Amino acid sequence: MAKHDKLLREANEETLRYITRRHFLLDCVTGLGAAALGSLLTGCGSSVKPVDFSADPMAPRAPHFPGRAKSVIYLHMAGAPSQLELFDYKPELQKLHNQLCPPSLLEGKKFAFIRGVPKMLGPQAIFSQHGESRAWVSDHLPHFATMADEVSFLKAVQTDQFNHGPAQLLMQTGNARLGRPSIGSWVTYGLGTENSNLPGFVVLTSGGKTPDAGKSVWGSGFLPSVYQGVQCRTKGDPVLFLTDPDGMNRDLRKQSIEAINDINRQEYENFGDPETVARIAQYELAYKMQISVPDVMDISKEPAYIHELYGTQPGKESFANNCLLARKLVEKGVRFVQLYDWGWDSHGTDENLAIDYGFRNKCREIDRPVAALLKDLKQRGLLDETLVIWGGEFGRTPMQENRDGKDMPYLGRDHHVEAFTMWMAGAGIKKGFSWGETDEIGYAAVKGKVAINDIHATILQQLGFDHEKLIYQFQGRPFRLTDVGGHVITPILA
Amino acid sequence: MRSTSTYRAALLVSVVIGIAVTACHSRKRTDFSAEVKPILNKHCISCHGGVKQSGGFSVLFREEALGNTKSGKPAILPGHPERSEFIRRLTCKDPKERMPQKGEPLTAAEVDILTRWVKEGAEWGEHWAYVAPKAVPVPDIKVENGNDIDRFIIEKLQQEGLKPSKPADPMTLLRRVSLDLTGLPPTPAMVTAFTADHSPAAYRRLVDSLLQSPHYGERWAAMWLDLARYSDTKGYERDASRNIWRYRDWVIDAFNQDMPYDSFTIVQLAGDLLPHPTNAQLIATGFNRNTMSNDEGGTQDEEFRTAAVMDRVSTTMEVWQGITIGCVQCHSHPYDPFRFEDYYKLLAFMNNTRDEDTHMEHPKLRLYDSIGLAEVSRISEWVQQHGNTAQVADVQQFMKVLEPKVHAHDCDNYINGALYDTKYLGVRHNGSCRLPAQAIGGKTQLLMNYWTGNKGGALECRLDSLNGPLYFTQALAPASDRTVIAIPLPASTGKHDLYLKFRNTSLKPDDPVCMVEWFAFRDDLPGKGQPGYDAVNAQLLALVNTHPEDVPVMIENPPVMQRATHIFERGNWMVPGKAVTPDVPHSLNPFPAKAPRNRLGLAEWITDPANPLTARVMVNRLWEQIFGIGIVETVEDFGTQGFLPSHPALLDWLAYQYMHEYRWSTKKLLREIVLSSTYQQDATTTPALQEKDPANRLLARGPHFRLTSEEIRDQALAVSGLLNRNMHGRAVMPYQPEGIWQSVWSGEYWKTAQDGNQYRRAIYVFQKRTSPYPSMITFDGSSREVCLQRRIRTNTPLQALVTLNDPVYVETARALAQNMQRNGRNDAAACIRWGYHAAMSKSLPDNKLAILQRLYGQALQQYKKSPDDAKKLLQCKETPPQMAELAALTVVANAIMNLDEFLTI
Repeated sequence: MAKHDKLLREANEETLRYITRRHFLLDCVTGLGAAALGSLLTGCGSSVKPVDFSADPMAPRAPHFPGRAKSVIYLHMAGAPSQLELFDYKPELQKLHNQLCPPSLLEGKKFAFIRGVPKMLGPQAIFSQHGESRAWVSDHLPHFATMADEVSFLKAVQTDQFNHGPAQLLMQTGNARLGRPSIGSWVTYGLGTENSNLPGFVVLTSGGKTPDAGKSVWGSGFLPSVYQGVQCRTKGDPVLFLTDPDGMNRDLRKQSIEAINDINRQEYENFGDPETVARIAQYELAYKMQISVPDVMDISKEPAYIHELYGTQPGKESFANNCLLARKLVEKGVRFVQLYDWGWDSHGTDENLAIDYGFRNKCREIDRPVAALLKDLKQRGLLDETLVIWGGEFGRTPMQENRDGKDMPYLGRDHHVEAFTMWMAGAGIKKGFSWGETDEIGYAAVKGKVAINDIHATILQQLGFDHEKLIYQFQGRPFRLTDVGGHVITPILA
Repeated sequence: MRSTSTYRAALLVSVVIGIAVTACHSRKRTDFSAEVKPILNKHCISCHGGVKQSGGFSVLFREEALGNTKSGKPAILPGHPERSEFIRRLTCKDPKERMPQKGEPLTAAEVDILTRWVKEGAEWGEHWAYVAPKAVPVPDIKVENGNDIDRFIIEKLQQEGLKPSKPADPMTLLRRVSLDLTGLPPTPAMVTAFTADHSPAAYRRLVDSLLQSPHYGERWAAMWLDLARYSDTKGYERDASRNIWRYRDWVIDAFNQDMPYDSFTIVQLAGDLLPHPTNAQLIATGFNRNTMSNDEGGTQDEEFRTAAVMDRVSTTMEVWQGITIGCVQCHSHPYDPFRFEDYYKLLAFMNNTRDEDTHMEHPKLRLYDSIGLAEVSRISEWVQQHGNTAQVADVQQFMKVLEPKVHAHDCDNYINGALYDTKYLGVRHNGSCRLPAQAIGGKTQLLMNYWTGNKGGALECRLDSLNGPLYFTQALAPASDRTVIAIPLPASTGKHDLYLKFRNTSLKPDDPVCMVEWFAFRDDLPGKGQPGYDAVNAQLLALVNTHPEDVPVMIENPPVMQRATHIFERGNWMVPGKAVTPDVPHSLNPFPAKAPRNRLGLAEWITDPANPLTARVMVNRLWEQIFGIGIVETVEDFGTQGFLPSHPALLDWLAYQYMHEYRWSTKKLLREIVLSSTYQQDATTTPALQEKDPANRLLARGPHFRLTSEEIRDQALAVSGLLNRNMHGRAVMPYQPEGIWQSVWSGEYWKTAQDGNQYRRAIYVFQKRTSPYPSMITFDGSSREVCLQRRIRTNTPLQALVTLNDPVYVETARALAQNMQRNGRNDAAACIRWGYHAAMSKSLPDNKLAILQRLYGQALQQYKKSPDDAKKLLQCKETPPQMAELAALTVVANAIMNLDEFLTI
């Protein structure tokens, strides 16, 4: 009996071990399917025969079932843009403009900044219908409007977090508290990445700030840190510490990595620790990354018509540049590209954060690049296998903000959790479709409600994952991106 | 997926053998923990357990399993498997009835175990980890030069047909034990001394001196700070600085003083509740003030206070008990015997502290300078002379922490006013608000912290309604800084709602009359009417108005401010359920009879030798730090879902020794571990051993794993001679690339230290939660958002980029190269040998020397050709003598500091 227990227990532990972090890499190193990686450095004076290994936790892996999407580009408008000025057209709200908000909308509700009884704020945009789908898009997004037939709108997305930090965390990690892996981490954990010379999960920011919740929104939480997003920057090193020290040229760097790895090979012969082999591979990868990352991050060699299409200016930190980079990155096999554009928090506290000023400028900044991204992906045949997601962390109130119970210097809207608009496109998402409805003033979702973990379930579904089965064992329980919820939004699937 | 197929394959083997084994063995009683519980956990509990109880049936607790199900009858009849629905459903053919409904049917062996178990009475067994460790006999095994630990290890190796490895060479051992105990490589003096000392006691002496090193505390504090989720910022959106480094220093000192682990536990969880707590004991409570707090405008303080308290419950149970309690906030534990209510009963211990997620992080211990301290003792003397003990305690506490006080966020019913930025009370002219349910009975003074730039303000306070009886009026003088004023209160009894009306006719309609941060209702000092009374009163107010250095601490609510604790339905703080009182999970040791039902009692329960987990979890953690893997590999989970210990008897022996022999002395325990011959083994592995024991759980060889992020930084600084060994103090900011900090609304920025502080140890580097120090996070450091029990070591190209290119590491290479050149003179080989020895504390073998010489030659040729490059690499303006040689040595030093052996213990 003792033998039987032991085997049963070992079988059980084997499962656990496979999925615990400590063993993840070890298993990769010593596991089956080890293959020699091609190397820029082989044949450079190494006296030791190349070692077979598969030390790369980012190696491509098959999902649960064939997915429609190979990559994801997620455009997060940090600060939360107003759905009422972009996609959720509410002529009734216009009629109520400047009237006091009916008490029924306020009873039992909490708002971040609205106090007492605010006034209603009519849509500050002109809406018209576009494309064959007759989608309502405002005049803030004239370029995007031409691509409306490519996307599925989700007009009744709901969240339960009305502060930026927690809401961004919920949107990006499935939980409002810090410490969970981000979507991109889950995806690269599940799928690995196609191009080992580039990070599998790349983050690009614009708008002058990181998102409110900081780098945690692309953290790997309890997943191994190898799955955290790698921020690629326009200024300084595109990836931190990518550039060799001043005064060390590429030849010398290559020679020094060869020396390091030659000694490490001897070390491996002495000690036999597979981690040493993994380290040899990582130094080779680092060397390759030093070439491939600056190359992919350089948009100056793109043709003029591409710059015209996106409105890009090489060398600038801009959302447009990031959209073009996103396309280049997925083209090169990067699995998950996450864009954050900061500055959408249109409270009306100052000109930049005003629905009637700053918000329009923000729209102008993203309109052409977003349309260009969809167009460019499409013309390259990439849209069919790239899932594009656009949205903020919550919506904005149909009421005008009256922070501290006062009138504001500019028009603004407070944070709103009950209904907002996002859209998805590409990779098996219906084209020219809209799902979900809000009431006549855009306050509450009435049909086709979508929860944040439904969005996550849908992203994973398109990548070939059953969101209930992509799990990671941590602190004694299995965790998933969708936590204990999540339903795939099947109506928007083609 | 691979995990499933591996599992199935293993299971298949186990079943085949299992059947064979059952067939030829006499039937022993089933073992619930080892046989039954794993089957229930695997097949049944996801539908019939803590989360769901389909059909009204649960197998989490015995009384639930034997109770009536939805059908009205119990599913398990002890002694009668043939009449038990539970057994019938496992084997019946009808797919609608057969269990598990969604999964594969149970194997014959599994059904056999469950059937026998029901027949034997369906007894519930205790999980091994929930039974207190007892004294364990040491295996009777001969070891040479070893200790009792080796007897356990070798016994197991013999069972597995393995042999221990030869001892590591002395210099490897020196480096290993130095890094393990102090986080730093040995100094050249230590290397010389150890090389010269050939006596058998040399290693023992070395260990003892390392345990006495002040760097010992820094190394072990680094481990503890992950558990304490220590950070120099508050977290969330603004993620502003938090001034709590004194807690970090307290941890360093506590390890250095070898504070017994039970005291170490009690002061951190409840130092404030000890009689006459010292400042150090109060600072220790910073453990649970390291929770995140949210300053984002528009956030509800109560929401984040609740989140912090919930984090304290989870963290306390994880750190000291190795059990995950987080899931119990929504439902009973799916696998372990912790009920939904247990979580909230634990929360009730933690739910009565004064901290309320305020921007200013009250309560904070005020660390007065000598002038302030003199004032404090003058006032204390007065109170001691004229008052009773309760008055003394009250006044002393107020001077220390300004508690109890009431925060502006408690106000409601605003008219023409608001909680500005959801932080401070701001009411405009003729506006008002309510401060509800204040126990003002008998209070004689209201202290109010406010500020305003305007003249002519006034505050009027009425009781119980806007038009209620006038309580007081108070003129509000301009005060540019936060100012505390004392408002005399008329006599009153009981609790009242206070209505606060603010006036200032000179203001624009949008301007608030003033900002108020807090209120404190106080008694008069004793000795009223005595000569000197007015002076001492004024002294106290002046003292309250000083701004000494401070540090967040825990302070318990006074009885009048006690919060009731409720269950949160489905874990949602907005939906409180029934009230609960403090208690501990009944599946663990009983609450000590005489212990108070507060945090102090909880700490006593945790450190009670009857507690099955505290000692085991800590010794396992220390073991994991030394050997790279715990005896229980899942250091964070001792529950039924965690791994079984590889050496259960050793774990219990260590736990028992720790409590009873070493009296919770961590140094004694670590000493025993590193003096074992197991620890001193050579680390070489073989393909056969690697195959059999890839994670080195059996310890047939010495430890061999990558250094921590802290050790990697500290080692590079140490071997290059740059390390600044100063201890303690404010966090430091060494070089980090431009543009890393881009926090929203924070206004704080990274200012690279130039005064030598850039070379301090990693433990002193500023920890920002939303923007961790890049090189540390790349090497698997924690971002300290929540308690992290175990860092998982990864191996990535980004790590290579850090040690190759991060200017911090290039600078260390330059510094090492200068030393190499100075010591090796004009002989390149001697320079390289010297550098390697400085890095690794041992001689460079010739084959490695040849490789480094090749690199040196390549670099020298390059820098001779291009002196400009040499200048750039060396960052010098002048041309130093032998510049090309120095630059080439820098390249070699950089390579040495990137070797696998350098990055590995």
